[in-house]
Amino acid sequence: MIAALMVLLPLAVALALPWAKRPAIHRPLAVLGVAATLALGVFATGGAGSLEIAWVPALGTWFAVDATGAGGVLARIAAAVMLPTVLWAGARVDDRPQVFLAWLLATLAGLVGIFLARDLVLFYVFWELTLLPALAMLAGWGLTHRRAATLKYLLYAVAGSFAMLISVLAVRPLSGAEGYRFDQLLAAAPLLDPLTQTWIFAGFAFAFAIKLPIFPLHAWLIDVHEQNHASGAADVAGTLYKVGGFGLFAWAMPLLPEGATALAPLGLALGAFTAIYAAMIATRHAHLKRALAYASLSHMGIVAVGLFSLHLAGQTGSMALLAAQMVTTGGMFLVSGMLHDRRGSFELEAFGGLARGAPALAAVTLVVLFASVGVPGLANFPGEFLALLGTYQSAPAAAVVAVLASIALGAFGVGLYQRLFQGEARERAQEIKPLEVAVFAPIVALTLWLGVAPAANLTVFEREAAAAQVAAAPITPPADAQASGGAR
Amino acid sequence: MSLPPEFGDLVVLLPVVTLIVFAALTLLFGVFTRERAALGGLALTGVIASLVFNVFLWLEARAGGVAVTALGGAFRGDPLSYAFSFVILVGAGLALVLADGHRKRLELDQPELHPLLLLAASGGLVLVSAGDLVTLLLGLEIMSLAVYVLAAWRERSRVSEEAGMKYFLLGAFASAVLVYGIALTFGATGRFDFAGIAVAAAAPGFESLGLLLLGALFVLIGLAFKVAFVPFHQWLPDVYTGAPTPVTAFMSVVVKTAAFGALLRTTGTLVEALGVGPIGEVLPAVLAVLIGLTMVVGNFGALLQSGVKRMLAYSAVAHAGYVGLAVLAGGHAGLQAASYYLLTYTFTSVAAFAVLLSLMDDDDRGDRIERLAGLGRRRPWLAGALAVVMLSLAGFPPFAGFIGKAVVFQAAIAAGHAALAVLGIATAVVAVVFYARVVMTMYMREPDAHTAAARPMSRRTAVVLSIGLVATVVFGLFPGLWLDWIARAPWWSAGF
Repeated sequence: MIAALMVLLPLAVALALPWAKRPAIHRPLAVLGVAATLALGVFATGGAGSLEIAWVPALGTWFAVDATGAGGVLARIAAAVMLPTVLWAGARVDDRPQVFLAWLLATLAGLVGIFLARDLVLFYVFWELTLLPALAMLAGWGLTHRRAATLKYLLYAVAGSFAMLISVLAVRPLSGAEGYRFDQLLAAAPLLDPLTQTWIFAGFAFAFAIKLPIFPLHAWLIDVHEQNHASGAADVAGTLYKVGGFGLFAWAMPLLPEGATALAPLGLALGAFTAIYAAMIATRHAHLKRALAYASLSHMGIVAVGLFSLHLAGQTGSMALLAAQMVTTGGMFLVSGMLHDRRGSFELEAFGGLARGAPALAAVTLVVLFASVGVPGLANFPGEFLALLGTYQSAPAAAVVAVLASIALGAFGVGLYQRLFQGEARERAQEIKPLEVAVFAPIVALTLWLGVAPAANLTVFEREAAAAQVAAAPITPPADAQASGGAR
Repeated sequence: MSLPPEFGDLVVLLPVVTLIVFAALTLLFGVFTRERAALGGLALTGVIASLVFNVFLWLEARAGGVAVTALGGAFRGDPLSYAFSFVILVGAGLALVLADGHRKRLELDQPELHPLLLLAASGGLVLVSAGDLVTLLLGLEIMSLAVYVLAAWRERSRVSEEAGMKYFLLGAFASAVLVYGIALTFGATGRFDFAGIAVAAAAPGFESLGLLLLGALFVLIGLAFKVAFVPFHQWLPDVYTGAPTPVTAFMSVVVKTAAFGALLRTTGTLVEALGVGPIGEVLPAVLAVLIGLTMVVGNFGALLQSGVKRMLAYSAVAHAGYVGLAVLAGGHAGLQAASYYLLTYTFTSVAAFAVLLSLMDDDDRGDRIERLAGLGRRRPWLAGALAVVMLSLAGFPPFAGFIGKAVVFQAAIAAGHAALAVLGIATAVVAVVFYARVVMTMYMREPDAHTAAARPMSRRTAVVLSIGLVATVVFGLFPGLWLDWIARAPWWSAGF
């Protein structure tokens, strides 16, 4: 029941916000909505954490949500990251802030829905629903060239989701499953013949590759981030919405193990290439948001490699990395908004020497940035390490490339910090403001928590990955044999 | 007084008779009174009364669980006829109110408007309830003749006259093809009624399978004109654009639904009659080709349009392709999917035309997409409504258009037409572009000289729009309201 409320509450707040007449209550209402969602997430354990109601019996779909698994962890982290984002956006967006905040809340509702859905049609509905706020924030609040970026984003997203729709609609009739609930599908779909599985998996993988995103389906991401509102709030929402990895992990791979095995070599190759290629571009890029977008693309390459390693540790690590980069990449986009406030530009040459006027801002940025490039003890490290370690067991070549990418990312982090904060300052930058402290506090806390105490989340991810591999086991070769197939 | 038994259960004719009686009444009153508003009310009363009878009969039939026939099997009451009659009557009622609200402004104010709308709807009911091919033809002609006149309704408008004439000429040609097909089918089986055709073809020693196939193909082509399958869609964009907008709205829901009801019944029977041999595979194959072409041409055609009305015309062709998938799937799943798709399309399409009507000029022109620029800020409610409509037509959840596509594609995949479903999805991506263009123009372009004048919406239009929008959302969130209702119905297969 609480799990269902986690979806409905932010949706209700989103619907209520545009009606609130007094500007003074917009931000508090939005923050309260997110905080309440997060609180619900904390209590959504055990029996209260899941719910199943028949939705359309004629179609075999259910309103089934579950907050006790991997999706629950991601939903809680998404809500936690959304909290400072809403706080920041409420202060930084001047044009119809209540509507912008409503779209952020709608994003949260959609994301929680994606993560908690345990029915494939419901998952698809939330997947598609979350696109609307992303497009609306870009179209309504973006920069000058937002029209082209919006159309590009829309086309990529819809091409992907319609491909997925075919797979969604094919998997039940073809496998003869009783319904679209995960357990119903799991009982039937892995028994499909390998060729059918491969085709259905390809439909899913196409959609998830666009949303991950990985090369060559990533072109929309960079433009979207460049053209989003300068506060960076919409970019955080976009970062949280990179749910392709979760889709592979929670749906496509468990349901279609043979399909996953067949396409794993392709996934590994594209993932590894994305990781290294995006990291190289990031180090050389002169536009802050585009550079951050490429860096996050590189992370997604590593996530893809870990998932397609089909190795327990690799998959567990990938999910941990996905969760951590929500915090760190999201945090960096908020930093980009703060820096834009100070210099009025995203071009890196406008920056430099910020540390002199704003040492505290420099220090917290350093924490988030280093966490994002995988420095041990901070958020991204456990996931990245496990993902690479797992991949090395089953696909050493891809792992080597991905390790090179993570080294390049480290160089990117150091270089970026130097260009932003060190060197000569043209003008004295303003020190960190109270609002910015409030925005940073949850980000830094999460960064440290995910870095220092990753065990709780890793256990959940590992349990789910292992369960999926066990479910697939009776009809497929053991995990190691699969993985060596993937290493070809 | 008792009737001979072959008259059957005449009560099943009630919805049709009600419409015809009210058509006669409005015609009579129209001669004596200048009070057109009263005529509109009378016509709407007729549609609602007919709808009440339809629902009543449907409920009774569900309790009884048997198909009801009248006039020696010429007229049927079964799940298909009840479901499609319901959709037709809902669409007719909404389109009627819409026409009534813009009657004066668009100079559509002749007294014969309402009777013709009612007659067209009654023809639609006959079409979907026909138990034999002759009754089917009768219904088609009752409906079509009324709509030919309605399409040419605007006096002194060349495009409207051209639309009516074009529709009439091509429609008459289609009817001729249909009649020829009916004759060939009769020649092959010696029967007109659907049940009889199936029985005759299944009888041992049946030799005229080739002739029956030829007849079936002609019947299919005749009906393909009416539902506007490519390449028999040529009339549609011009007629939709030229006809008065309320009439276009009526055609896009009532005529389309009725034609699909007939197509579903006819192809279902003929495919079964032709059996599973090599000859039996021809009809579904031809249908599949037509549907594939329809989806491709309709969507790419819509992509090229600069007028919203003409874009909606091509989009109507494209949606015909999607409903066609359900027809191809056939059986109970096909009925379920097609009726759901058409029901929700009825609500969404009427809502689209309601918005369009409040933006267009008094000469029924001015649908260029540039006129929508800046609507998002100037008329937030109207823009929001049109955005919901466009998203639903594009197949976005949680709106009804999404579930419609989902059930149609699922039915097609389950029936073994996965390739066609993939083609459908690919064309649906194209469709998103032209629907999104409308939304983006409203929200992302500054208003300029082209922007439509802010005319307040009439109350009747607002009611139609609200009903359309609420239904689009409610049926999207709770598709079970219709799907489960249809699914629980016992399936009476005799004579399809």
